[in-house]
Amino acid sequence: MADNLKLEGVSLAFGGLQVLQDVSFETRKGELLCLIGPNGAGKTSILNCICGLYRPGSGRITFGANDLTRMAPHRISRLGLARTFQHGELFAHLTVVENLLVARHARIGTNIVAEGFFTRSVREEEAVHRKAVEEVLDFTDLERYRHEHVGALPFGIQKIVGFARALAMQPKVMLLDEPSAGLNRDEREDLARHILRIKHELGIPMIWVEHDMQMVADLADRLYVLDHGEPIAQGRPEEVLKDHRVVEAYLGTRTTMA
Amino acid sequence: MSQPRSSGYLRTRYAQDWMLLETRTQRVGFALFAACALALPFFAGAFHLDIANQVLLASIGAVALMLLTGYAGQISLGHAGLLAAGAFTTGILFKEFAAPFWVTLPAAAAVGAALGVIFGLPSLRLRGLYLAVSTLALHFIVIYLGSEYESKRGFSTGVVIDPPRLGSWTLTDARAWYFVLLAAATATVLFSLNLMRSRTGRAWRAIHGRETVAGALGISVQRAKLSAFVVSSTLTAVAGCLFAYYRGFVSAEAFSLFLTIQYVAMVIIGGLGSILGALLGAVFVVLFPYGIEAAMKATALADRLSSLIFAVNYAAFGLVMILFLVFEPKGLVGIWQRVQAWFLLWPFKQKPVGK
Repeated sequence: MADNLKLEGVSLAFGGLQVLQDVSFETRKGELLCLIGPNGAGKTSILNCICGLYRPGSGRITFGANDLTRMAPHRISRLGLARTFQHGELFAHLTVVENLLVARHARIGTNIVAEGFFTRSVREEEAVHRKAVEEVLDFTDLERYRHEHVGALPFGIQKIVGFARALAMQPKVMLLDEPSAGLNRDEREDLARHILRIKHELGIPMIWVEHDMQMVADLADRLYVLDHGEPIAQGRPEEVLKDHRVVEAYLGTRTTMA
Repeated sequence: MSQPRSSGYLRTRYAQDWMLLETRTQRVGFALFAACALALPFFAGAFHLDIANQVLLASIGAVALMLLTGYAGQISLGHAGLLAAGAFTTGILFKEFAAPFWVTLPAAAAVGAALGVIFGLPSLRLRGLYLAVSTLALHFIVIYLGSEYESKRGFSTGVVIDPPRLGSWTLTDARAWYFVLLAAATATVLFSLNLMRSRTGRAWRAIHGRETVAGALGISVQRAKLSAFVVSSTLTAVAGCLFAYYRGFVSAEAFSLFLTIQYVAMVIIGGLGSILGALLGAVFVVLFPYGIEAAMKATALADRLSSLIFAVNYAAFGLVMILFLVFEPKGLVGIWQRVQAWFLLWPFKQKPVGK
C-alpha cells in the first residue's frame, strides 16, 4: 500500500482563537487535493500542522506508519513530505542550483571532515546530486537561470524555483501553499502545466492551497473546503463549488433590507 | 556566480560548478598572488614582517568568524574569549606540564570544540541580539578563568611561553613564522572553502535567516547551528594557540572586548558571506592603526596629538565601520566585485541587479 497522508480530527487553537476544528482527510495516490476557503480559513495552518511547524491541540496526523503529530519538522520532511511556501521563502543569496541542492541535504551522506578536505567521495556524491538537480531544472524549465542568485530573479520565476526546490527533494507528497499567488496569466499556465506533469508523470499526490477558483475547477481532483477552521464541504469540484455553504462562505448570504 | 564572465566560457562538466579556480585568468591571477606571498618575507624588513604575520593570524580568526556570522548568520561576541581559550590552554599546558606544541595545538582545538558546543547551545533558543549577549557572557567567563589562573599561579603579568620546538630546531625567526602562519591560514581558507561548497556549508547558509524553511527542507537546524559553532570555535582556538606561541606570552589583557569588535569589524568591513571578505577585512583592520599613525605623521599632527593617538585610532575605527555599514554594506568584497565587473564589461557599463 502506498503511504497516504492522513489527518484525523485535527484541531488547533491559538489561545482563544480556534484555528482548526476537527479537520480530517486523506491523500490518495496521484491525486490532486485542493484546500480552499476564504482568507483566514486555516488552509496554511493545516500545512503548518502537517510540516510540524504547528502542534495540533488534538487529533492525529499520520503518514503511512509514521505518526507526525509530535515529530520535528526536519524529520517529517525526511519522510518524503515537501512543501512550497506562499511567499517563496527562497534563499535569496544562493543561486538556483544551490537552492535546489539545499533541498537534497538529507539525501547527501557526506560527513563534515571529508567535506573539509573535499575528498574524492565528496566530489562524486556532489556530482550525483548536481545531476539530480539538473533533471529538476529541466523538468521545470529553469535551466537558463541555474547560476543566477534567486534574489535577482523576477517573482514569478522565484515561485517556480520554490516549486522546483520542493520537487528536488523527490517527495512522496507535495504540499503547495498558494503556488499561483502573485503570478501573471502566463506564469499560471506554466504552473498548471508543471502540476499536471507531476500528477501524470510522477504520480505524486499533492495537497494544494489555492485561491484561483478557475485553476481549482480545472485541475483539482477533489476539494476540501474550510471556513473559520471548520470543514464545510468536500468532494468533486463541480459539486462542491455549487454547494450553498461554499457559496455562502465566499460570497456571504443574501439579506433583505428591512 | 552571477558575477559577469568574459564571453566564450562555457561549462561542460558539473565539476566546473565547484572549481575554485575556474578560468585561466583566475589561475594566472592566483599564481601571481601566491608568488608575491611567498616572496614577501625576503623583501620585507622586521617591522613589515611582523605586520604580515599579524595579518595572517588575524585572517584565521576572521575566516572562522565569517563561517559562523557571515554564512550561518549566528552573531557571536565571544570571539576574543575563544582566542583566549586557545591561548590559555597553550599557556597552562606549557607551564604546568611543559607540553610541546604538538600536544598544546590539538588540546587547544579540543577546548575550542568543547567551548563551541557551550557557546552554541544558547543559539538553539536565542536569536540576534540575545544570542550576542549570551556569547558575550561566555567571553567574560573565559577571561575571568584565565586571569584567575594568572593571579593564583603568580603570573600576574602574563604567562611566558617558549617558542615551539621540533627536535633541535626552534621556531623563533619571524621569516619562519611567516611561512608557518601562511600555511596555517591557507589550510584554514581551503578547509572553509571546501565546507562552503558542500553539504554542511549549504546548510549553514540555509539557516541564515530562514531557519523554518531549512527545517522544512530536511535540515536539522540544531545540528547545523552547533556544527557552525564548533567548527568556528575550533579554528579560533587554534588561532589563539598560534597567537600565544607567536607572541611568546599569554595575558588576559590581550583579549579584551575590543579584540572581539575588531574581528566583527573584519567580517563586516570585508563583506559578510565571503571568505575573500574575511581576508580583506583582516588586512584592512590590522593595517588600519598603522595607516592612521602614518597619516598623522605625514600631516604633522603627531606632535600635537601624540598623547591622543589611541583615542584618534578608536574614533577613526568607529567612523570607518559606520561608513562601511552605511555606504558599502557588501564591504570590501562588494568593491572588489564592482571593479572586476567594470574591467570585464568595459567599455560597456553595468548596473548591478539585485544581489
